[in-house]
Amino acid sequence: MLKLFIFISKRSVQMLLLFVIFLTVLFFLLEAQPGDLSQQYIGNPDIPPEEKARLAARLGLDMPLFSRYLAYMKNFFTGNLGNSLSQYPTPVTKLIFDALPRTIVLFLSATLLAYYLGFVTGKVLAWRRGKMSEYLLTLGGVGLYTVFYPWFALLMIWTFGFTLSNVTGIRVFPINKFIDVSDWLGSPFTTNQVFLRMILVAVLSMLVAAVATVIAKQRLEIRQAIRVRNIAFLLGVVFPFIYFFFSAMGKYALDILHHTLLPVMTLALVAFAGIMLLTRSAMLETLREDYILTARAKGLPEKVIRDRHAARNALLPVVTSLVLALAFVIGGGIITETVFSWPGVGLLLYNAVILEDIPLAMGGLSVIAALALIGHLVADILYAYLDPRIRY
Amino acid sequence: MTERIDLEPEQSTGGPLVQEPLWRIRLRLARRSFGRNWKMFVANKIGLIGLGIIVLFALLGILHPILMSRVWDPAIYDPVQGYDAPVAEYTVVAEVQDPASEMDLATARLMQNPFVEEGDIVTIPQQPAPPSKGHWLGTDPLGRDILSQLMYSTRAAFAMGAIAAFMSVLIATTVGSVAAYYGGWIDNVLMRFADLILLVPLIPVLIVVGALFNLTLPLLGMLIGVLSGFGGTAIVLKSSALGVSVKPFVDAARVAGGSNRHIILRHIVPNVLPLSFLYMMFTVTEAIALEATLSFLGLMNVQMSWGIMIFTAHSQGYLLSGTHYWWLLFPAGLAVTMLAAAFFLVGRGMDEVINPRLRVR
Amino acid sequence: MTMRHDTQTEGGEVRPGETLLEIKHLTMDYQTKEGRVSAVKDVSLTLQRGSSLGLVGESGCGKTSVALTLLRLQASNADIVEGEILLGGLNLLDLSEEEMRKHRWADISMVFQGAMNAWNPVYRIGDQIREALDLHWPEKLTTAQVRQRIAELFELVGLPEEAMDRYPHEFSGGMRQRATIAMALSCNPQLIIADEPTTALDVIVQDQILKELKKIQTELGMSIIYISHDIAVIAQVTEHTGVMYAGKIVEYGSTEQIFHRPRHPYAWLLLSSTPSITGPRRKLAPLEGEPPNLMVPPSGCRFHPRCPFATEQCSNEEPPETDIGDGHMVACWNYEQVPVGISEIAAEEG
Repeated sequence: MLKLFIFISKRSVQMLLLFVIFLTVLFFLLEAQPGDLSQQYIGNPDIPPEEKARLAARLGLDMPLFSRYLAYMKNFFTGNLGNSLSQYPTPVTKLIFDALPRTIVLFLSATLLAYYLGFVTGKVLAWRRGKMSEYLLTLGGVGLYTVFYPWFALLMIWTFGFTLSNVTGIRVFPINKFIDVSDWLGSPFTTNQVFLRMILVAVLSMLVAAVATVIAKQRLEIRQAIRVRNIAFLLGVVFPFIYFFFSAMGKYALDILHHTLLPVMTLALVAFAGIMLLTRSAMLETLREDYILTARAKGLPEKVIRDRHAARNALLPVVTSLVLALAFVIGGGIITETVFSWPGVGLLLYNAVILEDIPLAMGGLSVIAALALIGHLVADILYAYLDPRIRY
Repeated sequence: MTERIDLEPEQSTGGPLVQEPLWRIRLRLARRSFGRNWKMFVANKIGLIGLGIIVLFALLGILHPILMSRVWDPAIYDPVQGYDAPVAEYTVVAEVQDPASEMDLATARLMQNPFVEEGDIVTIPQQPAPPSKGHWLGTDPLGRDILSQLMYSTRAAFAMGAIAAFMSVLIATTVGSVAAYYGGWIDNVLMRFADLILLVPLIPVLIVVGALFNLTLPLLGMLIGVLSGFGGTAIVLKSSALGVSVKPFVDAARVAGGSNRHIILRHIVPNVLPLSFLYMMFTVTEAIALEATLSFLGLMNVQMSWGIMIFTAHSQGYLLSGTHYWWLLFPAGLAVTMLAAAFFLVGRGMDEVINPRLRVR
Repeated sequence: MTMRHDTQTEGGEVRPGETLLEIKHLTMDYQTKEGRVSAVKDVSLTLQRGSSLGLVGESGCGKTSVALTLLRLQASNADIVEGEILLGGLNLLDLSEEEMRKHRWADISMVFQGAMNAWNPVYRIGDQIREALDLHWPEKLTTAQVRQRIAELFELVGLPEEAMDRYPHEFSGGMRQRATIAMALSCNPQLIIADEPTTALDVIVQDQILKELKKIQTELGMSIIYISHDIAVIAQVTEHTGVMYAGKIVEYGSTEQIFHRPRHPYAWLLLSSTPSITGPRRKLAPLEGEPPNLMVPPSGCRFHPRCPFATEQCSNEEPPETDIGDGHMVACWNYEQVPVGISEIAAEEG
């Protein structure tokens, strides 16, 4: 346990260091920008020279490079990211923190969904090697994996958001955005109030389910424990719905959920393909391992060999690949936000770039990079937990 | 010990044993191993399909300048500046029965001139126009030929893919071989750097870079090549080079007094090069998708590309027309997907040849 | 409470000398892309209860194929052309997969190669043994009972009790092999197949483990089939030996008969090519040539291309199995020409 703790602290420090390096690179990238940053603010020839000097001093542009770098770092870590230019004078931090929950939910739910489904499908796929269904699903997986993502997202909107609604006459999925503004007129809540409540309730009920499962695994026999787990997670999913059914926020929560489904599905589907293909090849490698033969010789049922022996080990390279999947989900997430007009950090970043709002763009990029690093840290810890060879 | 060991008996009797020049032997060996690998590659089919698609696109790309100079009128077919709008005739009526040949008065006055009366026949230029004899894939919302745009963009995709691939092979092979051969702090620095690159989310960084700098195709290709070369590909090649650098022939070369440079260039690099080419394919896949994505977001300084074609259709609001305006969305989207997939498939096919683990027993 | 349990009791008392396993004319091909590979050809063997049998031969001679077929774990591209595997009169090849599963480990277990990763790296050793116990032990065991049983087994193979809570990577090669033996013994099988049980271990550990295996075998009255390319291992622990070449058993007899006076040229050359630590110093006779391509096995006797005594007849007709007395069988046309001694004559040949 101590060793795991040391491992985690070590990795955390490493990640922090990497983040500092990243910010440094970002700072110098900004400096290296053609046309010089300062010119954007005080380059106007109509400004008299003494006013220019006053402005430069106020903006800190007369300081030497290194002092400016230090000031930049200090500001960053004290949470001062400057003011947005496109939405002046709102601080960048406020804009980002408003958008952050939406981004995290999009990334996290898509990642979890993709991992869970991708792993289960990939595992079964490898087990059915040589069958027609394996061939077709693998082919479809390669197609999804290499599909041009923005185009795919547009097709998803067209198919599920537009055509499906036209054909059925019901609005199965909304086309884009986070809410239907018309439904929120006169709402006593802000979107973030409702959204945060949704996250809170969902996370809490899942947490309760997880704790119940852990306790059941320690106290009960394996078969009963599995039953407890299934019931706990079923309740964990159902409970938030019950809660919001009776809550005054219910109507608004439903609207948000309604808008969340399609973007999450789209992002998850593409990430799913990668995970599925990876799990499949990892399983195929694992199935060649000698301990699979041992398990067969022991007379274990095929399903136990597949799940307990092969899949458990194939999970290791799949967790390692979280590094790659994360890049995929983050890149895809930004495109998803842009295409679906989903007001997260990615859309914020994109709009900032289009409107040349440099402070906001830098802030957005830093926060996304921080999210990526945290994701890696989680993957590392998960790996250490799953592989006893690292843990001890 | 009375017997003396003669190390090179052939030399004492005069003349080398083999008369054939060395390069010819090498060539023959290379040809033979290529033949063997080719057979494996073909047997796999996946790679062959990919290769077929690549060749098809390459032909499209080569054909475009020829068509432009010989067959197509630049004023009509130029992918960026061309303009052509086939006209359709509508009868102005009070109540529209057949939207393909009739138009109500208000619309007709808006689109033609305010003096149109019922019963007149108005001619309206069509843009986007559906596929016709003159435009096999129709025209875009600005009246430009889609097929010409598609073919023109192929060249850009290939050129950028080639730049990215070349850079990544060059850098990754060097970094991987050097890190594996020297080990120690050199290895450590290079690999930590690779980790860092791998950790940074590429698309957001490129979005910001695209905002700060003038992102052209060669620049983007170079950037992707450098990032891939110092990042993920370098890590893979290093572990492969590590396997090579402990082989007996490397020790033999060192004992024989080969310089570090000689050993790396002559013994390690040739052995990791196949894997390097394999990862080059994945780099190309990535480069094609990234270029299209950035063009789609409008961040590339490029006049025409597949991404821009989709961007045009999307930004002009033709998305929700669905399949009605299929030629606006499908050719470009499919082109990006297919070419990216083709390089990916070739990579997978090569993987089966290079990676003995994957071979079916 | 004693945890000893005999699966044999259902079939009455354990009677040494009673036939436990009979392999009859087992013939198996591998279906590959290039064609059919004749991996096992007409192999017949008999094993008494409580006795031990060795199968020796070069790698690729089909000995592991035979071993895996006994558990019905042959590769998926294997095609059993004919033959029967009778375990206590029951033909294992007739069983459904589900029925066969119940016999695995409970009746026939396996000690895998030391070099192999027979242990799943992510589970504790004890938990992996428990899997077998949970499945095959006649009564349901509580955790305490399971731990007691594993402790018993570990004591038998010379491992400390607390080792059951460790992971495979924390074990040395020798310990891992002992644990493998403990797992093979866990459900009191009637037959253990030891496939290269000591390969990849250093000589001292090898010796210890072989001695312990032999001791355990006599103590518990189990039958063991040893499979090895190393004739020294076979000579040390078995009562009977079968020499395999290119998928066929070319010589079979008591271990003493075979090592004292091999009659098949292949067995003779195999023995001659092995150094002896205790015997007189001699030059080693190399076994010339390579094992045949079993896609197109040599006509007649499969060994004739490499055989120093080969005649016209050998390349045309398959030699019959001849009993040359006391159950010593040999499949060779010219077994009488094979010299008596090994060392000197072999030295001349080499």
